[in-house]
Amino acid sequence: MAQMREDVRERWALAAFTIAFFVFLIAPILVVVAVSFTSVSYVSFPIQGFSLRWFWRIVEYRPFLDALGVTIQVAFLSTAVAVLIGVPAALGLVRSRGASAEVAMTFLLSPLSMPMIVLGLALLFYLSALGLGISLISLVIAHAVIGLPYVVRTVAGVYRGVSPDLEESATMLGANRWQVLRHVTLPQIRPGIFAGALFSILISVDNLPISFFFGSPSTNTLPVVMLSYLEHQFDPSIAALSTVQMVLALAGLLVIERFYGLRHLGAPT
Amino acid sequence: MIRLNRRHFLMGAAAGGVFALPPARRLAAQTETITVTSYGGVWEEAIRGIFVADFTARTGGKAEVQIGGPPQWMSQIEANLADPPIDVLVNTIDLALVAGRTGLVEKIDPSKLSNLADIPQRFVDVVEGWGVVFDYGSAGIAYHRERLRNPPTSIKGMVEGALRGDFVLSLPGISYAPTPQMLIWSFADALGGSVNNVDPAFEALKALQDKRAVIFYGGATEFLNHLEAGEAEIGIYWDGRTWAHYSTGAEWIGYINPDEGGVMNPVVVQKVVNSDDSAWEYINSMLAPAPQLAFAEKVQYGVTNTKVAYPDWLKDRITPWEATRWPPFEEIGAKIPAWVDRWNREIGA
Repeated sequence: MAQMREDVRERWALAAFTIAFFVFLIAPILVVVAVSFTSVSYVSFPIQGFSLRWFWRIVEYRPFLDALGVTIQVAFLSTAVAVLIGVPAALGLVRSRGASAEVAMTFLLSPLSMPMIVLGLALLFYLSALGLGISLISLVIAHAVIGLPYVVRTVAGVYRGVSPDLEESATMLGANRWQVLRHVTLPQIRPGIFAGALFSILISVDNLPISFFFGSPSTNTLPVVMLSYLEHQFDPSIAALSTVQMVLALAGLLVIERFYGLRHLGAPT
Repeated sequence: MIRLNRRHFLMGAAAGGVFALPPARRLAAQTETITVTSYGGVWEEAIRGIFVADFTARTGGKAEVQIGGPPQWMSQIEANLADPPIDVLVNTIDLALVAGRTGLVEKIDPSKLSNLADIPQRFVDVVEGWGVVFDYGSAGIAYHRERLRNPPTSIKGMVEGALRGDFVLSLPGISYAPTPQMLIWSFADALGGSVNNVDPAFEALKALQDKRAVIFYGGATEFLNHLEAGEAEIGIYWDGRTWAHYSTGAEWIGYINPDEGGVMNPVVVQKVVNSDDSAWEYINSMLAPAPQLAFAEKVQYGVTNTKVAYPDWLKDRITPWEATRWPPFEEIGAKIPAWVDRWNREIGA
């Protein structure tokens, strides 16, 4: 009986701790959402009246919308580049043996371990020397560089769990390399590609240090504009913009869940 | 539930690619316009709506506004010096001097700037001719009027009051770029030191820290948070930002130009090397009295053309440049690494 009471106490304590932990994590986000609905022209909490004026400000202040468009373009295009390079690389390296494969894998993952600000500066000078200058192409390449490790890592992780026997069986049954890739390998690694692409998009959308160096009137991304705005104007429009970003992220997850299923993002069983 | 297959992936990638293509009009426009720089928010609106509009009206030229900050712009110019992506650079005084000495910008050419005649020579000399100051702020005492009815009127008095426990200060931390001028030199100067002897500043900061009478901010908006949240009552802040915040409805905030004088913070405009010659005309717009007045009314910072006459509501808010203290920018620039090192060792925040 005493043991049962002890178990109940522990369960309650665990539940209380979990709830407190989530409140601790979510409370700042809720404050940001609440502030975005304030009627006054400065950030304060609790809010002093309800208004949607700061959401209108997002539409009214042209750089916000322009930057949002650039951010989405760059996220999708850089992810496409990262997938086109990362998937073949991961497939080749996972089945390779020897030191050179390990070196190549480490090289592809190296952007993860470099300070972004250093990478951004290096890419700025490198791509400028190549004649690409400050352009959308440069920005896409730079974002692809930082998205690539996520694609390689997730695809390689999934592909390592795929038995080579399946591909060998297909080959023995007469499939050529392209047919093996299309009908056997890609269906197996699809969750890895999807997860890697998702990470790549999220990293791109959120990136400041790289985008910072490639900003121009036509290539400024949302984090760059938000930072610059926040440094020189202290109104709740940034909170409203953050709320919109959160809604878009949630909507994206709901769409994925509805049409694809979040559970498919894991490794195949 | 729809399963993602190859066709879906390719369709999505194609749609993304089409969506990602830059409009041809935008590419074409880039070849006909100059690129000028601006900070974000109200600054960008003022630059675009006032200076760019004046430039376009006078010359028929077009200018695109690049939002960001001087370190970003200078890196981009340095990486593309032969064909710079920026024509006109807005800069802080310390980086403006660096930009001049490293060959990123041209010397001001008076023959191409008719409005330069109305700008006091000191605003050219301070940047050694590598540009001209068109706008300035002053770092003085900002405070919460409702929580502090009798604020000190001097920096010395403010430090003494905080040490007595009368209030908590919010001061710029070492990660905030203007701190060497607006805090370290200013405190040293106000407390009996100089640019060559900043011991009084560091001793005061250490004493304030020991008494838990100070918190530091890393960005300009953080100061407003400190006052709004009740973490501090008073501190060192910019006049223009204070009044701009006041104008948004935050009437609890007040500003005092300290007895010692606020610290001058000039904003410099520079012509980038190898940039289009029409950049001179744009700079001329930035120095003209009517656009400068409109700019001052919008951002509530002082401007440099002597023909500008502020309206009454603004006159009381602008600190006359003659009533500010000018830090020895050149000497401070050389001492910043040592001061940062000392800050990290002694203050740590």
